[in-house]
Amino acid sequence: MDIFLQQIVNGLTIGSLYALVALGYTMVYGVMKLINFAHGDLVALSAFAGLTIYTSIFADGGTSIIAVITVFMFTAAIIAVVGVLLERLAYRPLRTAPRLSAVVSALGAGLVIQNSIMLIWGPNMKIFPSDLFPSTIYDINGVVITFTQLMILIFSSVLMIALYLFINKTKIGTAIRAVAIDQDAAKLMGINVNKIIMIIFIIGSALGAVAGLFIGIYYRGITFDMGWMYGLNAFVAAIIGGIGNIPGAMFGGLMLGLFNALISGYISSAWAETFTFMLLIVVLIFRPTGILGEKVAEKV
Amino acid sequence: MKNMLPKLAASAAVCALLVTAGSAADVIKIGVQVPITGKYANEGQSIDDGVKLVIDQLNAKGGLLGKQLKVVTCDDEGKAQKAAICARKLVNEGVLAVIGSYTSGATEAAQTTYYRNKTLQTSDGTSDSLTKHKYWTFFRNSFQNSAQATFTAKYLVKEKGYKKIVVISDYSSYAVGLADSAVKSIKAEGGNVIYQGKIKSGTQNFTAVLTKIKSMKPDAIYFSGYYTDGGLIRAQQEQLGIKADFIGGDSNDNPDFMKLAGKSAKGTLLVNFPTPDFLPYDAAKVFIKDYNAKYGKDPSSVWALMNVDGLNAILHAVRKTKSLDTKTISNYLHALKDFPGITGPITFREDGERINTKFNVYEIQADNSYKIINK
Repeated sequence: MDIFLQQIVNGLTIGSLYALVALGYTMVYGVMKLINFAHGDLVALSAFAGLTIYTSIFADGGTSIIAVITVFMFTAAIIAVVGVLLERLAYRPLRTAPRLSAVVSALGAGLVIQNSIMLIWGPNMKIFPSDLFPSTIYDINGVVITFTQLMILIFSSVLMIALYLFINKTKIGTAIRAVAIDQDAAKLMGINVNKIIMIIFIIGSALGAVAGLFIGIYYRGITFDMGWMYGLNAFVAAIIGGIGNIPGAMFGGLMLGLFNALISGYISSAWAETFTFMLLIVVLIFRPTGILGEKVAEKV
Repeated sequence: MKNMLPKLAASAAVCALLVTAGSAADVIKIGVQVPITGKYANEGQSIDDGVKLVIDQLNAKGGLLGKQLKVVTCDDEGKAQKAAICARKLVNEGVLAVIGSYTSGATEAAQTTYYRNKTLQTSDGTSDSLTKHKYWTFFRNSFQNSAQATFTAKYLVKEKGYKKIVVISDYSSYAVGLADSAVKSIKAEGGNVIYQGKIKSGTQNFTAVLTKIKSMKPDAIYFSGYYTDGGLIRAQQEQLGIKADFIGGDSNDNPDFMKLAGKSAKGTLLVNFPTPDFLPYDAAKVFIKDYNAKYGKDPSSVWALMNVDGLNAILHAVRKTKSLDTKTISNYLHALKDFPGITGPITFREDGERINTKFNVYEIQADNSYKIINK
């Protein structure tokens, strides 16, 4: 039994990282009907930027809560700026163009970011220091959870709840939902659509940045092309949950993490990806709009 | 008389040709086929530098058989496809022998071309399949995977007395081959392999497989893959509270292993050929000193030294046989016993296998230094 519970803990940890990244995909899609393929590479960029900030500012300072918080704040801010620039340069000029052009632009932007990471930080694996978080391990009746895992679970839950409340309870959140339903009508109601899209990119990129940092702290080794793997998994999570739907992305991410852990644990890790995509196909056959996605009426 | 001029010109041209041809034959070309760029660039460049150092030193002393030597390098990027192109290029250049490649895959892709064109080849690739063709042109300057597996099995079962051993590999042919021979050897030693698992290289999250392993309560985990995964497996193993010793195969011997494993690196056991600074031979110390004097750094690993040993054995054979006929050189090499190399005595078997290579087990200390712990 404790083995099963351990697999659940393992799955939820990676699942909440997927969920954080998936939120970036789903929010952009919800508002712009654009699949932001560069999002995964922003996650990778965040890990590299975070590492550089940490080592350049706190090289000999050791760990302190302030240092870690500063790294998170700085990195999230930088990635948010990059996200906004990405939208300005790669997506806004194509907003009225056919949807395929925007997708191609997104793929291109992803390659630009990925290769920039390679040129700046080099093609070799970079390694996070092990002392950002204390290495405390909690053992609850044979089920082990590390301090880092606990932080990942707590922080991502807090961020997701905060985002849910922000979207559903605030004025800006209402505006975001309005833009998602109909951009033109929202504009007529006096909503600044460009500003809303900018906010979407700030939030999505910052969440991705947090995920990128957690990936670096938890797994330690980061490579310039890691964005592809995390991006793809998160994208699948967003679709399974129902793309455009925020609780759907959270649900999809957690479900995918659990599913992966159980398949790897009880069948074989080599089959994990195969089963992931089989799950995606099954979900798309029976619920084309995703598990939590609503039935969308055909727009005329 | 007026017909004389063209004839003179023609004969002058023929003479000129003869002179160039003559001078070309006065140079012995040595090929180097290694990854100069790409993932393994670090290792390939170090091998190339090592070969050039030896050849420069030899040229300064007057060359070989009264001829100067010249190094021709071809970058195979560690890829089979590029390796085949390099093989053709080096054969066309008319090299006597080729040093390389670094990876088993790139070596295997070039092997047949060298064999058909009677060009000698010496490589550090460890894959068992490299010597299965029994090409008389091929000489392995390192060790065979199965030799490492036999050593590891004996150490785990006889010296350490582990009762429940878990063997993990990734899906690469190198790691699977090493893991399979390790399992076979452990069983032959009377040991007990309770689980043989595979991980997908680069996925970073190995907790699922490790959790499964935890329930089996092993006392040793042997990993045959590469350091980028090994370091993480070691760290996650300790996180999950699996109290088993971790033993890594030769590809875990890299400074990045320690960085990835963090505090968990301490106490890890690594099985490998002696690293350069642990080689007990004076020739090795002299070589490393000369290398450092010329390039301002140490060779990146023991592989450069192994390849230099392969080169030295070939040069020695040329000197002794006074011949540039590759078949004669090859026959001499096959008969050679305990040639004093910088990585230990060199003896080649009929199929080009280097035999009697020695291994060590290192324990990583708290300061990330190595300590030899096998008897």
